[in-house]
Amino acid sequence: MMLVAAIRPDDWNFPLFLHLVGAMTLVGALLLVAVSLAGAGRGGSVATVRLGFRGLLFAALPAWILMRVSAEWLANKENLDEDPPGWVDAGFMISDTGFLLLVAATVCAGLAARRAAREGAAGGSGLSRAVVVLAAIALVAYVFAIWAMTTKPS
Amino acid sequence: MYDWLLFLHVLAAFMVATTAVMYTAFAFGASPGGLAIRVADVLWNVGGLGTLILGIWLALYVDGYEIWDGWILGAIAVWVIATGTGERARVELAEGGGRFTAVHWVRTVAVLGLLVLMVWKPGA
Repeated sequence: MMLVAAIRPDDWNFPLFLHLVGAMTLVGALLLVAVSLAGAGRGGSVATVRLGFRGLLFAALPAWILMRVSAEWLANKENLDEDPPGWVDAGFMISDTGFLLLVAATVCAGLAARRAAREGAAGGSGLSRAVVVLAAIALVAYVFAIWAMTTKPS
Repeated sequence: MYDWLLFLHVLAAFMVATTAVMYTAFAFGASPGGLAIRVADVLWNVGGLGTLILGIWLALYVDGYEIWDGWILGAIAVWVIATGTGERARVELAEGGGRFTAVHWVRTVAVLGLLVLMVWKPGA
């Protein structure tokens, strides 16, 4: 048996809620993009390539901002921003590296959508594959982040 | 043990939320593709079962939580609503039903309600 786990001041709840909504939307959008573009690479339509770009631009990027800003807010409330423990450092490192992957994936997806509009779905297939790879790397990293945030090692 | 239960419970919640996000794109008119729909539905099934089973396991495992606590019973009730509307949304999408968007939004609000209950734990 464990001791009570729910010892958290009430004023941490709202930033935690925003953090979770942002993180869940980010993971959902990344998976949608990866799966849609993987499908497009196997003879999908121009619309699925466009969905990949829009999913990153209008869902994943805003979700990342919500997740990251609320993470900073939470760390500040918990006084973890001065001398952060390892799991907080890991979270920030993964999210910041993830942002670079996200920006790269969005640029690739935008170019793929433009080429696909010109030449058909096959036109941007190389770029689409790059987006799938970048999104997959980010997703694996975010699963590790979820593990670190819930188990709080060290 | 507790850490792993919590991690898997939260991971299952991410799967459920991922399905809600993917179906939201479909509700906004995105052309989903068969692979995306299949992945979303598998995540909904695995995540749904995972959140329920691991959530009940956690409630039994952690001192201070009881399975009959109001917020846990409330969460189970909302989970049932989310599951019912989720199944309806899947059928509506597959059949091109006119009520797909409405049913999907009810399911999405239920998923958000579950998150609110898990974070605030009213009465705990």
